[in-house]
Amino acid sequence: MHASARRGLVAAGLLAPAALVFALLFIWPQLGLFLQSMPPGAPLAQYERFLGDSYYLGVLGNSLLLGLCVTLVTLVLGFPLAFLLARAETRWAGLLLLLTSFPLWVSAVVRSFAWMVLFFRNGVASRLLQSTGLVESNFQLIGTFAGVVIALAQVLLPIMIVTLYAVIRGIDRDLEHAAMSLGASPVVALWLVTIRLARGGILAGSLLVFSLSVSAFATPSLVGGARAHFMAVTIYEQTLELLDWPFSAAIAAILLAISISVALTYGRLLGDAKEQAR
Amino acid sequence: MISLRSPFGWVLRLMAVLTFIYLLGPLFVIVAASFSDTGYLAFPPQGLSLRWYRQALGDVRYLNGFFVSLRLAGTVAVLSLLIGTAAAVALTRFRFPGRALLEAIFLSPLVLPGLVLAVALTLFYAAHPVAPPGLPRLVISHLLVGVPLVLRVMLPVLKRVDPALEEAAQNLGASPLHAFFLVTLPALKPGLFAAAALAFIFSFDEVEMALFLGSARDAPLTVVLYGAAQMQMDPTVAAVSAMLILLALILMVAQQAYANR
Repeated sequence: MHASARRGLVAAGLLAPAALVFALLFIWPQLGLFLQSMPPGAPLAQYERFLGDSYYLGVLGNSLLLGLCVTLVTLVLGFPLAFLLARAETRWAGLLLLLTSFPLWVSAVVRSFAWMVLFFRNGVASRLLQSTGLVESNFQLIGTFAGVVIALAQVLLPIMIVTLYAVIRGIDRDLEHAAMSLGASPVVALWLVTIRLARGGILAGSLLVFSLSVSAFATPSLVGGARAHFMAVTIYEQTLELLDWPFSAAIAAILLAISISVALTYGRLLGDAKEQAR
Repeated sequence: MISLRSPFGWVLRLMAVLTFIYLLGPLFVIVAASFSDTGYLAFPPQGLSLRWYRQALGDVRYLNGFFVSLRLAGTVAVLSLLIGTAAAVALTRFRFPGRALLEAIFLSPLVLPGLVLAVALTLFYAAHPVAPPGLPRLVISHLLVGVPLVLRVMLPVLKRVDPALEEAAQNLGASPLHAFFLVTLPALKPGLFAAAALAFIFSFDEVEMALFLGSARDAPLTVVLYGAAQMQMDPTVAAVSAMLILLALILMVAQQAYANR
């Protein structure tokens, strides 16, 4: 009894610093955010203002569309690379995987600036597009929706690849072999076996990338230009430039609600995927 | 197995190579452009010079920002490691009600938008100034992501170390604390290094909380870069970016070398 009481004290002591940080700086401010978004007297006024204004609804739609596009691009580009890395038998595979995750060590500001260099009027990417004749001669990708998609997909691609890689590694390659010896073409085997078995991981990776793109700030604001109409940029303007805190709290709460619902689905899917793998 | 030498395999390979270029190309472009001898950002670079590096290293804003970021990230890494490892030990070595819930709460900032954390903290500090503005505020705020990063590395590592080893040491006469330092801590070392590296690079690279909570006087490097990138296409920004890419490369290689020892 005496020993177990002492063990309890040790556990409490070890947890205390983390518990203090999270109670003070996480739980309290997040609750405060909701409280401040609902001022007494007119608790839903800020939400009505957001959801009743076609401009702000457009911002929300823009962010959701950005999330959808970025998720699709990272999935289509990420799957082949993740598949090859997971199935390669050379000793280079480890190095290549490391190189793939290298961009995660570089600040999103630096990576976004790299895209600005390519996207401005005389940048390589914009000049390439100009030379096709499809766009005007002074066209630049900076400030366009497409530009933000291209840049943000590159910023988030490593996360998708690392997630898919882990899932594909867990799939027995003999199953693909079996499908092919029964007469399936490689494409059909990939479709019937690998993609089916990886679907939990594919969904989990997609939700993660979706959630991160909807709330992304640095890339949309730098590549999207001064008036980029995305959720995070709008929150930034309302908080630091217009100082309308109840309203920015409401927009942040909406973004938080989207992220939490995506995170909960993600957690359940990952749990299901582990179940299936067993 | 799907043969990678089939025509289909070659299509996959081609796509993978293109994706690789897309992924790493921009980093290469910015490094190349930083050496250009032109007054504007040029890619492909024209001429070869280090003038933008000289300019960047002579610029007080960048130098100051670099040292602020170094102090910030160093403090965040050390504090996250201490707080996070202690919590990880408690979560893996002790049984108590609400353990799973606590773990979920501790890890949740990793899946929440950094910008929402930043806004919530801005409003919170305005009403409750629990820390002086500027660097101290930023340090304690970065712990919200630094500690979860340490936990995510250390929880699985601690679960792998067999508690029976510690008990054996205690049976041989070591005190519980002594047994922990003698047996468990050495087994944790590679994990500790990886966790600290992750917390450091997160704090060094982070821009959202830094923009919201930092003061103008000691602005971290990412904030200075963000401001400069918004203003104009300045080649010094490319030079600073290239140096940051080099720093990231060194950190990643060091972490790998340490992990593979």
